[in-house]
Amino acid sequence: MKSKKLISIALAAVMTLSLSACGGSKGTTSSSSSDVPTIDQINVGTDYKDLTASIKVLTNRTDIVDTTYKKYVEEFQKLYPNITVTYEGITDYEESLTLRLTNGDWGDICNIPTTVDKSEFENYFTPLGDYDTLNGTYNFVTEKTYNKTVYGIPNGGTAGGVAYNKKVWAAAGITTLPKTPDEFLADLKLIKEKTSAVPLYTNFAAGWTMGAWNDYVGIASNGDPDYKNNILLHTKDPFTKNSEMSGPYAVYYTLYNAVADKLVEDDPASSDWESSKRMINNGEIGAMVLGSWSVQQFKEAGNNPDDIGYMPFPISVKGKQYAAAGGNYAYAINKNASSDNQIASMLYMKWLLEDSSIFSDEGSIPALKGSKLPDSLSEFNGVELLSDNPAKEGEENLYDDIRNTAEVLSGDYPVGEVLESALYNNKSLDDLMNEWNQKWTSAQESCGAEINN
Amino acid sequence: MSESKAKNLEVKTPFRTWIRSRKIQKRLLIFSFMFLPLFLLLVFTYIPFVKMIQFSFYDMKYLGTRTYVGLKNYIEVFQRPEIFGSLLVSLYYMGGALIQLALALFFATLMVFKVKGEAVFKGAMFFPYLICGIAVGFIFKFFYARGYVLDSILQAFGMRLEDIPMWLQDKSVNNPALVATSIWRYTGQNMILFLGAMMSVDSELYEAAALDGANKWHLFRYIILPSIKSIIVLNLILSISGSLSAFEPPYVITNGQMGTGTYFVIMNRLAHENQKVGLACAMALILLAIIIVCTIAQKLFFKYVFDDGTSDESKAAVRRRKKAEKEQKKLMRNGGVIS
Repeated sequence: MKSKKLISIALAAVMTLSLSACGGSKGTTSSSSSDVPTIDQINVGTDYKDLTASIKVLTNRTDIVDTTYKKYVEEFQKLYPNITVTYEGITDYEESLTLRLTNGDWGDICNIPTTVDKSEFENYFTPLGDYDTLNGTYNFVTEKTYNKTVYGIPNGGTAGGVAYNKKVWAAAGITTLPKTPDEFLADLKLIKEKTSAVPLYTNFAAGWTMGAWNDYVGIASNGDPDYKNNILLHTKDPFTKNSEMSGPYAVYYTLYNAVADKLVEDDPASSDWESSKRMINNGEIGAMVLGSWSVQQFKEAGNNPDDIGYMPFPISVKGKQYAAAGGNYAYAINKNASSDNQIASMLYMKWLLEDSSIFSDEGSIPALKGSKLPDSLSEFNGVELLSDNPAKEGEENLYDDIRNTAEVLSGDYPVGEVLESALYNNKSLDDLMNEWNQKWTSAQESCGAEINN
Repeated sequence: MSESKAKNLEVKTPFRTWIRSRKIQKRLLIFSFMFLPLFLLLVFTYIPFVKMIQFSFYDMKYLGTRTYVGLKNYIEVFQRPEIFGSLLVSLYYMGGALIQLALALFFATLMVFKVKGEAVFKGAMFFPYLICGIAVGFIFKFFYARGYVLDSILQAFGMRLEDIPMWLQDKSVNNPALVATSIWRYTGQNMILFLGAMMSVDSELYEAAALDGANKWHLFRYIILPSIKSIIVLNLILSISGSLSAFEPPYVITNGQMGTGTYFVIMNRLAHENQKVGLACAMALILLAIIIVCTIAQKLFFKYVFDDGTSDESKAAVRRRKKAEKEQKKLMRNGGVIS
């Protein structure tokens, strides 16, 4: 009897102690990143050859975790056989990452979700270097910079425009690409009359495809690189119509009228993203409004890769078209990982950004400055490619605060409202835009932003 | 010498005797078994709940600073028209819950009497409950998509595609369509629940009633229904709180758009898309208050209409019992003399 009791107590004690050991080891090695170098100081292929580490990368690309990404890991391990890299694909990426970041133990490399405020970067991510140095080497580093320190480097960039099927547009008899919203809508009508394709496929049911329209409110609708981060937040009633048909109003005007004139799929609520890729490749869809990252995916979705084209968004500002080149999701390193892991992550990240084939595989603008533009942007002649300028010091979070408080330009739902108003014909575009203006003004007031006319 | 030795052997320390006593052993046993579940309950339910109450008084996001704003979040919930409008959508789910109840009672009654292959039927009807809610949502997302499963079936019956309504888009049918997925999922589980309760009814009662000329409907109304009254009442209370907090069908199938957004869906959107965590917490607490009010109202309703619906006695039996108790009290007061 006694020995049984002793054994059970001893077993319980051993189990409890082993639990505390597994908690303790993570805690004690959360290092200061003072012994971690900056990304411009390390040389991939020569430094840290004897470093052994095992790092975890979180990604939203669940579709290629086991194929393309595995290939990159194998290539990297030829240089650094002692560093093991595992990818974890997450389906609900934005929501899951926002919650995982609150606990410091989420892995080593991730794409910075859009919900993280710039002032929070230093709490979660390792500083990669200072802004002036890295801005000379990499594209789009402005977006994840705070206090002159860079915390994330985007995985290449895309330009905003509209993907279209060249064959369908030619079959409808369209010879020049549209330059204004009304020209675009007229072209869509021609496609509906002369072909059997769906002129514009909204992919409403996927949700994130609606949020994509918000990206055109910056440079594409205005031609001003300061608009998004410095002007929009201080503008009074930015959603008002202007005579030139440019600005935010024009972007939503395009969507609203395409839906109201029945130039989109019959039932937006039952659209399917994965099969729409195949449909645009086969010529069953005329156009889709998404970033240039989609072009590569559409080309691979069927047998007609050459039919996929990419045009700039049909808004002209003083007769000229503009496109915003923006960074994709940015890679960042976990500040709370061990310093070995941080160094290993930095090596892998630098290798991905500079030496891997990720940009030609994804058809995006490469991260290194001075690289060749991808083929997807070959039709952007005469279009000026600009990047958003950073916000003024002290106002970095203000734009995000205003748009979240107003619940306008805040994601998928407001754009979904535009589509629903057009679909059920229960609200005119002008009424909706006035509501947005009011919400924007009250958000500006509650966030303490100056309002200029 | 031997005396002291004997004493040493006899005297055990007071602690060891105390802890070996039967009473303490019993308490230790109870404590050690309850400790783990209570600990998990505390960590995963009560502490987050207290935190949520705390969060509802702040203006905050998940990451970043939190500013105290007092009752501002609660006032904002009442000012927003779409929040209370979404409670109206819950009425569809309540209606669905009543249909579910009726269907479950019907099938359970069928199964009480011997049915060939009843194990197969029970298994097939219970199966939907085992599928995760998100998976059910995806199944029905493709089921209702235009030109997919449901439309193809209806077309095979001869309907034309133009006549078939757009299940997810037409505001007149999209909420009933989503409620139907909920009914599909839960009817089987309710049926098994009722079946279990019905099994407790003495089968001799059925024989006796049949001899007196009762048909199946009379059997149901007068024998089965009164016996399982408490389960039905419980089920109704749960269905009210369930329909107010319906989340998975609208979220997965339509993302709460096209007028199908329930309270929960809006709460989730405010918390995760707009990062208004404080407002979402305030919404959650207001929903809790509404559910408590509804539950109390239901209990009172059942108490007065059915004379305490928690017991399984019929109304007449309860009244008789109460009358007998009153008489007894009177007797005792008058010292045994019948006045």
